Amino acid sequence: MKISPLRTSAARLALGYGAIFTLGVGALLGTVYFLTMKVINNDADAVISAELEGLTDAYHRAGLPGLADELSFRGDSWSGTGAVYLLVDPNLVKEGGNLQKWPFEDIPDGQWTQFSIEAQVNGAPVTHPVRASISLLPDNHRLLVGIDVIQQRRFANTFRYAMLWGIGLTALGGAVAGYFLSRRLSRRVQSVAETCDAIVGGDLNRRLSMDGSQDEFDALAQAVNNMVDRLAENTQLLRATFDSAAHDLRGPLYRLRGRLEDAGRMPTTDAPVRAGIDAALTELDRVQRTLATLLQIAQAESGSVAAHHVRVDLAELITDIGELYEPAAREKHLTLRVTATGNCAVNGNRQLLAQAVANLVENSLKYIAPGGHIDIRTQHDTQLVWLEVLDDGPGIAPDDRAGALQPFVRLPQAQSKDGSGLGLSLVAAIARLHHAQLLMEDNQPGLRVRLGFAAGA
Amino acid sequence: MKLLLIEDDLEAARFLHKGLKESGYEVALASDGRDGLRQAQEQTFDLLITDRMLPHLDGLAVVRALREQGVRTPVLVLSALGTVDDRVLGLKAGGDDYLTKPFAFSELLARVEALLRRSAAEKNVPQTRLRVADLEMDLLGRSVTRATKDIQLTAREFKLLEFLMRHADQVVTRTMLLEGVWDLQFDPQTNLIDVHMSRLRQAVDKGFARPLIHTVRGAGYVIRDEDKSA
Repeated sequence: MKISPLRTSAARLALGYGAIFTLGVGALLGTVYFLTMKVINNDADAVISAELEGLTDAYHRAGLPGLADELSFRGDSWSGTGAVYLLVDPNLVKEGGNLQKWPFEDIPDGQWTQFSIEAQVNGAPVTHPVRASISLLPDNHRLLVGIDVIQQRRFANTFRYAMLWGIGLTALGGAVAGYFLSRRLSRRVQSVAETCDAIVGGDLNRRLSMDGSQDEFDALAQAVNNMVDRLAENTQLLRATFDSAAHDLRGPLYRLRGRLEDAGRMPTTDAPVRAGIDAALTELDRVQRTLATLLQIAQAESGSVAAHHVRVDLAELITDIGELYEPAAREKHLTLRVTATGNCAVNGNRQLLAQAVANLVENSLKYIAPGGHIDIRTQHDTQLVWLEVLDDGPGIAPDDRAGALQPFVRLPQAQSKDGSGLGLSLVAAIARLHHAQLLMEDNQPGLRVRLGFAAGA
Repeated sequence: MKLLLIEDDLEAARFLHKGLKESGYEVALASDGRDGLRQAQEQTFDLLITDRMLPHLDGLAVVRALREQGVRTPVLVLSALGTVDDRVLGLKAGGDDYLTKPFAFSELLARVEALLRRSAAEKNVPQTRLRVADLEMDLLGRSVTRATKDIQLTAREFKLLEFLMRHADQVVTRTMLLEGVWDLQFDPQTNLIDVHMSRLRQAVDKGFARPLIHTVRGAGYVIRDEDKSA
C-alpha cells in the first residue's frame, strides 16, 4: 500500500500540534497586545485627567479669565506635545484654547470621547486621532482636554501587523516541518510495510533495514527482525521435520513397493498371491498419494515455491483442465462446460493451480448425480481475476464450509466416498500461496467455489 | 544397454538392479555421489539413474559436474521430495527426466526406455511423418490416415496419438501421457487418461481387424504393430 505523506498519523499529529502552537502564539501575542494597548491608553488618560484637574483648579482659583489665560499659556508651550485644549460657552462657542472650534455636532455622552483633527504636514493632509475628556464647569462652560494619539495608533497597527505575521509564520513553519517529518516517517514506514509484505509473501530471508541511529524505528526494526528470525527458524524446523518425516516414510514405502513388485514378478508366484499383491499395491498407492498431498500442502503453506512464480493464463489453464476432464464427466452422464473469457493472466505456479482446479472438478464429479452440470469459468472484474467451479450437486451446508477446508475433515456426505479428505485443504493452501481469496458459496442448488487472484503482469 | 544406478538406499537399489537386469539391461551400482561421478567419468554408459539426495555429493551436483565436462548421457533423477519446484530444479541442473519416489517399477522402466530411445532418435533428422503399420501421421499437414481411410481427430487426440507414435513399441505410462500431452504433473484421482485412450481407440482401431493400441496391464499403453513383432 502506498502511503501518502498527507494522510499519516505524523501529519495529523503535526497538524494538531501546529494548530495548538499557533493558537498559543496567537493567545500570547494577543494578550501582550491588549495589555500594552491598555497601558498606553491608561497612560494617555492619566495625562489628560491630570491636565483637566490642573485646569479645573485654575478655574476655581481665578475664574474664566484665569482659565483662558492658563489655556493660552499651555497651548503655546505644549503645542509640540500634541495636547489639545478648548473652552466653550454654553452655546458651544469657543472662548479659549488651541482648537479652532467644537469638534462635535452637539454634546457627546459621557466624559471620555474621541475625534480627529485634519492637519497639514508638509503640505499633505494628515488625520490625527485625538482622545479627549470633557468637563462641565459650574457656569455651564465646557472644558475639553485631549491628546493626539497618532503615535499610539501607529504603534498598535504595527503591533497588529507583526502579530499576524508571527501567527502566520508559526502556522506555516508548523505545516512545513510537519510535512517533512511526515514524509520522512511515511518513507520509513513504507519501507517497513514493503519488507513485511515480502516476508508475508514467503520471502523469509528479507529483513528490515536499520540506519544505525538507534532511534525508535531501529528499535522497531530490530524487534520485527527478531520475530522474523524466529519465524524463519520455526518454518525451517517445520520444513525439515516434514521433509525428514516424509523422507523417512518414503524410504520404507519405496522398499515395500520394491519388495511387493519383486514378489509379483517372480514366475513361481501363484495367481491368488499375485492378486493379493496387486491389491496391496493399490492400497500403497493410496498411502503414497495422501503423503504426496500432505507434502504439497506443507510446501504451499511454507510459501517457498512463490519464488518460482511465472505468468499463468487461467483461461488457458481451465481450457486444458476442462478438456482433460470432459470425457470422464461425459462417461458419468454429466455436462462439463468451460467458459474462459478475456485476459486472465496471474502470477503463480501452473502445476499447483492446475492441481487446485482439478481437485475442485474431481470433487464435483464425485458428488453430483447423473444429469448434473459442472461449470469452470474465469472472469475479470475491475480488481481481480476470478476462477470459479460451479456445480448443481448437493453443495455444502453453510456451517460445514469452513470445516471442509481443514485437512482430514470429511463431511457427512463424503463418508461413503473414496478420498483422503485433503483435496479442499490443498486448494485452500494453494489459494493462500497465491494470495487468492477463496469463497465457497451456495449455487442454488449446488456448490460454487470462487478463487480471486490479483491480475498478473 | 549399460546403465549406472546411483542410489544410497541399498535395499531399494537391489530391487531396482534386479528388475532392470530382468528387463535386459546391464547395471552398474554406486552407493554415493562421489563414487557415481567417478564411474560415470571412467566408463561410458547409455543412461544414468541417480537419486537426488546422496551422501558426499548430491545427485544434481553429479549431473552438473558431468554436463560441465560435456558428458551428454541421458539422466533420470529420482527424488524423495517430489515437489513441483524440485522437479524444475532437477531438469535445470541437466537431468532429462524426473521421477518421484516411491514409483511403480513399470513407471521407471517406461521412462528408461523412453530416454534411451530419445537419445538414439536425436541423432536422426527431425521427422515429418510417423508410421505404425498402416497408420500414418502427417505432422506438417496435421492429418492421420489408416489404410486409405482419413481419421478425424481433435487437436488433443492428435497430440495424444503423436506422443504414442513417437514412442512406438514402447510402453508409455499414464503419468508420461499427462506430462507429455497436457504438460501437467499432478496425479488425477480418476481414470482420466483411460477415458481419453478409449476415445482415441474408437477413432484409430474401430473397424480394423488388427488393433494397434494396446493396454499393458499395470503399466500403461503401447502402440505397436503386433504382426511385425510376432
